[in-house]
Amino acid sequence: MSDIAPSARDFRRVTDEIVDISLHYPDRRAWWMCFIPALLLLLSFIVSVTVLFWYGVGMWGNNIPMGWALAISNYIFFLGIGHAGTLISALLLLLAQHWRNSLNRFAEAMTLFAVICGSLYPLVHLGRPWLFYWMAPYPNTMTVWPQFKSPLTWDFFAVLTYLIVSILFWYIGIVPDLASARDRATRRRYQVFFGLFALGWRGSARHWARWRQSYRLTAAIAVPLVVSVHSEISMLLAAGPINGWNSTVFPPYFVAGAAFSGFAVVSMIAVVLRHALGLRDLVTPRHLDLLAKLTLLCGLMTAYGYWAETFDTLYGSDPQELETMRDRLVGVYAWSYWGAVFCNFVPLQLLWWYRVRINPVLLFLISLSCVLGMWMERYMLLVTTLYRDWLVSSWQRYHPSIWDWSLFAGVLGVFFTLFLLFVRFLPLISAFEIKEAMFEEKERGEGTGHA
Amino acid sequence: MEREQAGPPSFNRRSLLQAMAASLALAAANGRRAEADERALPYVNAPEYVVPGKPKWYATSVRFAGYLQPVLGKSIAGRPVKLEGNDQHPATGGATDLFMQAALLGLYDPDRSQVPLHLGQPATWAAFDTDVFRRTAEIDRTQGQGFRLLTGAVSSPTLLRQIGDMQKRWPGMRWHVTEPINEDERLEATGRVFGRPLQMLPDFSAPAAIVSLDDDFLGPGPRQAMQARAWSKRQPRIFMAEPTPSATGTRAGERLIVPSARVQMLAQAIALGVGVTGVAAADLTAPEKKWVDDAVGALGAGNGLVTLGALYDPALHALVLLINERLGSFGKALRFTDPILAAPPDGKDSLAVLVDDMKAGRVTTLLILEAEPLQATPAALDFRTALEKVAFSVHGGLYADATANACHWHLPLQHELESWTDGRAPDGTAAIVQPLIRPFLNVRSSHVVLDRWLGGTASDHDLVQASWHTGWQEALLAGFVADSAPAAVTPTVRDRTVPLPQVPSSDGLVVEVRPDATQWDGRYVHNSWLQETPKPLIQATWGNVILVSPALARERRMENGDELSLRFGNRELLGAAWIMPGQEPHTLTIGVPDSFGFLDSWRQPGVRLEKTGKTRVIASTQPMQDMGEFDYVRTVESGEEAAAHPKDDVSFYPPRKWDSPSWGMSIDLDRCIGCNACSVACMAENNVPVVGAELVAHGRQMHWLRIDHYTHGEANAPRHHFQPVPCMQCEQAPCEMGCPVNAAVHSPDGLNLQVYNRCIGTRTCSAYCPYKVRRFNWFEYTGQDPDSIRAMRNPDVTVRSRGVMEKCTYCIQRISGARIAAKIAGRPIQDGEVVTACQQACPTQAIVFGDITDPNSAVSKRKASPRNYSLLEEANTRPRTTYLARVRK
Repeated sequence: MSDIAPSARDFRRVTDEIVDISLHYPDRRAWWMCFIPALLLLLSFIVSVTVLFWYGVGMWGNNIPMGWALAISNYIFFLGIGHAGTLISALLLLLAQHWRNSLNRFAEAMTLFAVICGSLYPLVHLGRPWLFYWMAPYPNTMTVWPQFKSPLTWDFFAVLTYLIVSILFWYIGIVPDLASARDRATRRRYQVFFGLFALGWRGSARHWARWRQSYRLTAAIAVPLVVSVHSEISMLLAAGPINGWNSTVFPPYFVAGAAFSGFAVVSMIAVVLRHALGLRDLVTPRHLDLLAKLTLLCGLMTAYGYWAETFDTLYGSDPQELETMRDRLVGVYAWSYWGAVFCNFVPLQLLWWYRVRINPVLLFLISLSCVLGMWMERYMLLVTTLYRDWLVSSWQRYHPSIWDWSLFAGVLGVFFTLFLLFVRFLPLISAFEIKEAMFEEKERGEGTGHA
Repeated sequence: MEREQAGPPSFNRRSLLQAMAASLALAAANGRRAEADERALPYVNAPEYVVPGKPKWYATSVRFAGYLQPVLGKSIAGRPVKLEGNDQHPATGGATDLFMQAALLGLYDPDRSQVPLHLGQPATWAAFDTDVFRRTAEIDRTQGQGFRLLTGAVSSPTLLRQIGDMQKRWPGMRWHVTEPINEDERLEATGRVFGRPLQMLPDFSAPAAIVSLDDDFLGPGPRQAMQARAWSKRQPRIFMAEPTPSATGTRAGERLIVPSARVQMLAQAIALGVGVTGVAAADLTAPEKKWVDDAVGALGAGNGLVTLGALYDPALHALVLLINERLGSFGKALRFTDPILAAPPDGKDSLAVLVDDMKAGRVTTLLILEAEPLQATPAALDFRTALEKVAFSVHGGLYADATANACHWHLPLQHELESWTDGRAPDGTAAIVQPLIRPFLNVRSSHVVLDRWLGGTASDHDLVQASWHTGWQEALLAGFVADSAPAAVTPTVRDRTVPLPQVPSSDGLVVEVRPDATQWDGRYVHNSWLQETPKPLIQATWGNVILVSPALARERRMENGDELSLRFGNRELLGAAWIMPGQEPHTLTIGVPDSFGFLDSWRQPGVRLEKTGKTRVIASTQPMQDMGEFDYVRTVESGEEAAAHPKDDVSFYPPRKWDSPSWGMSIDLDRCIGCNACSVACMAENNVPVVGAELVAHGRQMHWLRIDHYTHGEANAPRHHFQPVPCMQCEQAPCEMGCPVNAAVHSPDGLNLQVYNRCIGTRTCSAYCPYKVRRFNWFEYTGQDPDSIRAMRNPDVTVRSRGVMEKCTYCIQRISGARIAAKIAGRPIQDGEVVTACQQACPTQAIVFGDITDPNSAVSKRKASPRNYSLLEEANTRPRTTYLARVRK
């Protein structure tokens, strides 16, 4: 395990290296080069949402039958990405996989920001977004309550729960490192900032005991949420009597796909961060190898979902289902189907080779392909299903408008802005957990005489 | 579609709104003037005092192509809000058509001309009166030489009396008529055969078999409501021969696709078949021969009728008259009366004579009333040049259009819903038109214009009343003058010679000109309800297309939307291609509005066709119309055969017990002729907004009730089906399950409700709806409507704002009205008490609505038919709207 937790390192140096990024950011120029485009994208978000709220959802390309389109497919896409972070942090924490410690902080941050981006979509896509709170059960003079049979109501609770748990899990996890940053900060405003958010952490044994309890408890809550939230999101589609959606394979298929796209995004972030911030000794080839393996595994599970769906359709041979399959395979939006199949599964096969898995550039490119593929899959699931549903008479075409795309760019802006701020100002790798792993390694090594 | 020189205005919602705003500003600038008090009589017993919110019904009529269409006008708080058919009327029995339904918007149209224009500048009526006063001195001096009156077709006794008065005072004055789509050929044929022109009045309820030679008697036109109602009574077997699909063709058991040039051969063969003498033998192809043999066989069984399209040559009409005489249909299936529309002195050459005189400088004063000769005349006449030679020209009409701008004066006229006039229904029954509202613009009626010209000072009420010495009150109450239809004439054939014209060669491409299903001859270009109504067989809105056959499209590699250039001589017509299954291979079809300025006749061989290489966006509500392997519209071999698949109503849940009443609807697909009267009636009743071509092309039309058109089978000779699709009001509604905020809920009486003010616009209901009948307010469609459009709205129906979903409610406001009335009277709601707007409008009574828990209700009886089936029953939504399958005849 020496390549994961370098026991030769001084504990202090680990913390220095990580916390120093927050306190004395190494390459400010590069950061600004990234942050300014991100701000421009954020501006696109503000403009797009303003236009959208001012004129109405008609600014998008939606129509009848395409009442749901890019907004919902992006919503599913962003939430799907998020799940990988939770899996890496919470599941591997519970399974005591120490190698996660180099990845979990930024993976969790990615989760949090992806969930924020994702949950913006259902809000802005409403016809009357100012009434979004009617989704919530709250006492009101109209004496109306949400309709609990609706998958959208489940969705509301699922996403809200997931958001809250993600925030808690991430924040609990970062508190000890915020305290380290507070203690090392020399400038007043850093001291105040980290001081406030460190919640008076002193590192006492009692603190650690409480921390450990709450962190593991939250992790235990978070893990099942990954499965339940994305299963629920699949219900958004699967509960409707629309051919191409109404399928029992959807929940596992969505969860696998979500984890797949999420691991791909984590791989990309890991490759970029270790290069940009010189963290090669913390995020090692071994980490890349493990991430690539997870991506491959989830990708294969997603491929199984594709296969199962096709098999079901052919085996059931319902004319309407066959028509939907035909629309996907050879219809005008066939590019999204074949694009998804190709991008998701063809480059992925390179990950069977170890040398490819530990090659950062190749891993980045393959992951990018998977992310694109999963985006196309979400798009395909919405568009190829709805543009030609039951009645030939309601068949229509769908073209996303410029405002669809500008909002998508804007939401990416929200993601990048938040993530860059996180990279710039917060400890982006869990220093104390790495140290813990190092210590355990050392103890074990001394015990067996291999040190 | 645009012509090369002058394109008709292209509308999208934005430009429409700008135009509306502009005309409104004009109205405000000119102020409003109350007209003299009128004495309109309500149809039902007048209440002692007006109850706010309680509608009053007036029996009146709207005009269409010279005829009156009887209506009952619903007026709430003094504002007409809906027109319905007059069920007491002998001709229509309550049937309506889309033009009648859309006449309401014509009244409130913010595009209407609101002030007299002199040389294009706003002027006053006083200035006009002074000008005319000076002019009449001149006319007096010349005894009317050089004074001409041009009108549309006229059936109004009052107008005819006034024209007579003019001619008495000025013997040299002449009256001309322009009515682009007319029955002149039929009248000429009767004149030839019987010695005097007679009106043919076929009774489509009488015959056992109808052979239609390219006569779309169920299609659009002033007789549609009347004829469709009559046909629907027995739905006799139809043999149709036509070059381009029509409403009648879709109902035909045997449809023969032939070039129009072959119609004469078919008529000759039928004539020979039934034993008319003196007819040359016909040379037929095998399919034609089979069709003729079958048709002759059916006619031979007795009680048959042969009809011929109004535009064919009079000699051919004469032959068809002889066939009908031979069949013994005179007096039974084919009755005759004296002409219902007044004939101008020069008959069908009336307009040509006028134009000749104008060009020769013989016309010094021209008064055009309710006609648009500049837009709606064949190009060869060149009316514009002729008009420039007239010293004093006046145009009176609802709109300040091209003709108005080319005349010295334009006079804004009253809409018939705000004026007194009279006229005759298509069966000849006379009626008095009473206003539903006082004119709210500075407008005059045509009668008043003529009266002032003659120096009179009478009101339109007095002018009309002067024509009706007795029965005034009864006529106003009933909406028609009882027994006023001209008596049936039993003519004797005087001339049996059949000098048939040379059959024109059918080589090359032939352009057929057909009345536009939603624009007629182009006169409804301002009516946005009609503009947005899809043409039934094409499903295109806002503008027309050029129909090409699938074979020609394959040959020339054309696709829907390709811009085509049609060239005839040095004239060109540009338009979008639409591939029409069932179109004769070498026939192109264009609408009458597009033919003006391009062609001089109704069929034109030798037209050159080219693709320009550009494409046009067709604002189609249904881009795909091939039903493929699906069974949305089912067909059974006989009325006894079951249409529904054997049901296995297996469910985990116990069957739900529905209390009475519980509402349901049945739609007979065999009766539906796709006329769209229901769809426009629904727009009027339910305040359905119009969105414009751009948004329709995006798939954002708002129609609550759409008429799907499907073709089934081989593209060269498919079967055509119409399927009206309102909300299915599913018992197990996916929309209700999907809505997170309880906006889609079920009512105890079986309705699938949409609560607008609860809706937050998640659009889940629409995503889950297998029928996609839900409509979404993508933008604020209603908030920017001009005042006059707001005044038109039905106050019983919520106006929806941006961001909410809406859909058919089964006219819940009418159900509530009936429930309240029944509750007050302490009785249950009777069967037939709730009539939905679409049901009322349907000329063929294809739609029946009522309580499905009552086994004796009309709807339950319909649903008990073996032909009854549910659309997409495999979706297990248990729709309350069900269909009766078509019967293969």
